[in-house]
Amino acid sequence: MTRTLLQVRDLSKRFREREVVKGITFSIAEGSCAALLGPNGAGKTTTIRMLTGLLQPSGGSIKLLINGSPTTDRRPYIGFLPQMPVFYPWMTGAEFLLYAGELAGLTNREAKRETGEWLEAVGLRDEGKRRIGGYSGGMKQRLGLAQALIHRPKLLILDEPVSALDPTGRKDVLTLLQRIRRETTVLFSTHVLHDAEEICDEILMIRSGAIALQGSLEHVRRTHSEPVIRLEVGEDEASRSWLTAACSKNFVIHSEVSGRRAKLRVENVEQASLALMADAASRRIMIRSLEAGRSTLEDLFLKVVQS
Amino acid sequence: MRQFLLFFRKEMLEMGRSFKWLWVPLVFLMLGIMQPVVTRFMPVILESSGNMPKGMTITIDPPSGMEVMAQTLGQFNSVGLMILVLSIMTLISGERQSGVSQMIFAKPVSYLSYAAAKWAIMLSLVTASFVLGYAGAWYYTVQMIGSVETAAALKAALLYMLWLWFTGSLTLFMSSLMNSAAGIAFVSLGAAILLSMASTWLPRYAYSPGFLPEISVQWLQASEKPTGDLGAAILCLMCMIFFFMIAAYQVKIRKSNV
Repeated sequence: MTRTLLQVRDLSKRFREREVVKGITFSIAEGSCAALLGPNGAGKTTTIRMLTGLLQPSGGSIKLLINGSPTTDRRPYIGFLPQMPVFYPWMTGAEFLLYAGELAGLTNREAKRETGEWLEAVGLRDEGKRRIGGYSGGMKQRLGLAQALIHRPKLLILDEPVSALDPTGRKDVLTLLQRIRRETTVLFSTHVLHDAEEICDEILMIRSGAIALQGSLEHVRRTHSEPVIRLEVGEDEASRSWLTAACSKNFVIHSEVSGRRAKLRVENVEQASLALMADAASRRIMIRSLEAGRSTLEDLFLKVVQS
Repeated sequence: MRQFLLFFRKEMLEMGRSFKWLWVPLVFLMLGIMQPVVTRFMPVILESSGNMPKGMTITIDPPSGMEVMAQTLGQFNSVGLMILVLSIMTLISGERQSGVSQMIFAKPVSYLSYAAAKWAIMLSLVTASFVLGYAGAWYYTVQMIGSVETAAALKAALLYMLWLWFTGSLTLFMSSLMNSAAGIAFVSLGAAILLSMASTWLPRYAYSPGFLPEISVQWLQASEKPTGDLGAAILCLMCMIFFFMIAAYQVKIRKSNV
């Protein structure tokens, strides 16, 4: 049985009239990796700022349990990487890490040692001596990760760690996260669902300030994913009209058509795909592709967000 | 204490790398030297400007050393004050605006140490710049104009420095309250000028910190010694402490720009 590390109850935040976070309750187990999912403006950043102590909640409680008992000051146990981290451009990467480490309570010697280690770990060993003003977005993100981890926090909180990066930068950060999550509990917010599926094991979906769905990734997949067939046909008129007709077959529960592609929710994938193929063959319709599978997290996300 | 030193060291480094440690004292030194030098060579300057009718002579009574020192303080009070406010106005608001503060305050740091380091660096910069400028003025005055009464000049310097500290504290206070740099500079400079001007019509027993520049000038010039300096000095120090407390509280409740 894993221990709970973070316990959040009825957390809410209002800015004047507007209630941005409306009483959310969740907990994160030690050693897990949780993703906070939600569309832009759902209240992800506000929630994260409250967890890190940057913002005072309007209501509810946040408890960080260290060795089973809640702490009064969470900050020593939390590492935080804000969305688009900003540094002092006149400092070098190594200087900033040293400063961050010492502020977090490390002695000068410890901070120096950790600085060297983390520069190496995030692949900035050679750039460490250069001024941060000349760093690229990806380098800043990696440096931000290093400063969040320099005091070996129990909980690492990341706000959109990969959203602003190009594919290579994204891959670098994700690889790093894969490694970090073996040692630290991680909570990160994102709207890129693919990343969440890749590294996390818990998901929390929020929509306009309230939790829409939560649970382990496995559980969510099992209970919410549905058998789906994705179909693509040729350009010609006959194919298209066949596709429209296919959508109204009795085994189709729900369908979405866009151009020559269609997504069909069915009860039984095997039977449905066989029936579709037989039907297409008998009418001499070319099927370009047919994929029988289950709905992804992205489908679920869209469903949750739009409902 | 340890965090205070860490913050202070960072501020020192920042002021060094942005060359504020170079140009702010330099401006004060220039202002200080300019007054005695210009006064000394005024007749020569007028003569060589060459647009005076032939045969006309101007006799300027050479001012005393004390008068020149008093004029120097006047220089500090215009250009010097402006440079000072401009160089420290974003000390607190800048970090909040850029977002660096999010990373700093997510760490277990003390807000009081943070604010104290800002105050300490402001006081260091102000003191170093003023001392350098005043010493320059003193040296050149003695060399070129005439003697300066040591006790009075020191007393005037002390009171005037208090006034600069007060303006610096006011600027940092505004920096903790507001985000826009222009707004901070405008309000701080405006308030300082208003206070300074108010000293002409406010009664002495109001002990406004705005009296300080006038009192220090009087120490240098007037035959009879001014009154109310102690009261103004004490009120000024109290204002500084008040500004500091509010600013530290502001830093605590406004950790980032949301």
